Amino acid sequence: MRVIVRSANAGPSSDRTLRTMFEDRKSVFVDLLKWNVPVIDGRFEIDQFDDENASYLIVAGDDGDHLGSARLLPTTRPHILDSLFRDLCASPPPTGPRVFEITRFCLSRRQGANGRRATRNLLVSGLVAHALARGIRTYVGVAEIAWLQQILAFGWECRPLGLPSRRDCGTLGALRIEIAPDTCERLAANGIWDPAAEPADPIRKAA
Amino acid sequence: MFNRVDRFVRDIGELDCEEDLAGALAEISGDLGFHYFALTHHVDVRRSSAAIRIHNYPDGWADWFDDQGLGGVDPVHRASNIAGVGFAWSSLPDMIALTPEDRRILDLARKEGIGEGITIPAHVPGEAHGSCSFACVTGERPAGGSLPLLQLVGAFAFEAARKMARKPLAPRPVVLTDRQRECVIWTARGKSDWEIARILGISEETVGEHLRHARERYGVGKRTVLAIHALFDGTIGFLEVLRR
Repeated sequence: MRVIVRSANAGPSSDRTLRTMFEDRKSVFVDLLKWNVPVIDGRFEIDQFDDENASYLIVAGDDGDHLGSARLLPTTRPHILDSLFRDLCASPPPTGPRVFEITRFCLSRRQGANGRRATRNLLVSGLVAHALARGIRTYVGVAEIAWLQQILAFGWECRPLGLPSRRDCGTLGALRIEIAPDTCERLAANGIWDPAAEPADPIRKAA
Repeated sequence: MFNRVDRFVRDIGELDCEEDLAGALAEISGDLGFHYFALTHHVDVRRSSAAIRIHNYPDGWADWFDDQGLGGVDPVHRASNIAGVGFAWSSLPDMIALTPEDRRILDLARKEGIGEGITIPAHVPGEAHGSCSFACVTGERPAGGSLPLLQLVGAFAFEAARKMARKPLAPRPVVLTDRQRECVIWTARGKSDWEIARILGISEETVGEHLRHARERYGVGKRTVLAIHALFDGTIGFLEVLRR
């Protein structure tokens, strides 16, 4: 199991890891969570934010198959919080070159509870290691409130951006997460930190 | 009102004892129109030293609750365990099948002055279920629109309490060297230092040293207690002791 970072027009045809990632995203967000988001070719969940500005932090198995991933969007351009969920923020959400939005946090359904936990830990650790390596200070994101306690229990510094609100797909809330050098220790104190996440791979431009 | 909640979240990040957290919770509960709060794991608190419970319910109520061992069976706790987000107690009958005993508990709470309430579930995978509840005095009604505010207050307060509780309760796991572990396994099988020395082909003094270091790591004085600790935390396995 390892962490991979991909960016720039990384479509499902690029390789096995990306193909299985977009398939797993369909399985999780469309089939399981019933989100109303586009599906391409009946197989891949891909929306308008999966463009050359998106990057992906991916946990892949030894065979290259996607196990878990998160999509990172720059906040210097239109992103989900400022275009679709602005009303979840009490005041304008933080933006800038050191602020990225975490979207499509996804754990493959093709693994058991222990595997999912290990993947989750490596993915969360990878997000922190990536932020530290790339000078990202703040992550923002929209989360289903049913997951809030688990997100807080990772141990990182997290604050609400506004009041949760009920939608078709559940009660949603906007959060900000501050990343600092001590964030790794805070994750470790909660049994989340996976040293395999460090150092993060440099971003690879897909062909 | 979001600003009030945001200030609460910032404030409790600085706190490091349960009394201060209880004070902050009492204050914000009052500001949001609730007389009582109770932040708790859904276990029998008297039998679980690791459990969190912070509340300002009447003393008599908490004692009676514990005397009855209700931590795991309270209908509000049971409903919370299957809920993803906060809920009003008035919706309990739609969430779980209420037994006559459940109705008796809810009636007794009302008689103690604990009226309508809202509970925010707190589920952390791999840990006991918990929740943070807010209640009005019997006869009063929760202010409309308080659920989203309480959702944040409950979740962030629970995490703050969890962090406080963890410090003394989760010491670093004891790790033994391979040699120390072998000596402990043979100790658990009833062998003396001299016998272990013969079995492992090392000197009796060295065996004594390994076991002394292992006892120090566990902070125990006797070899029997050392073996029991190592079995309890999984450093050595029962099958290793029984089958070899």
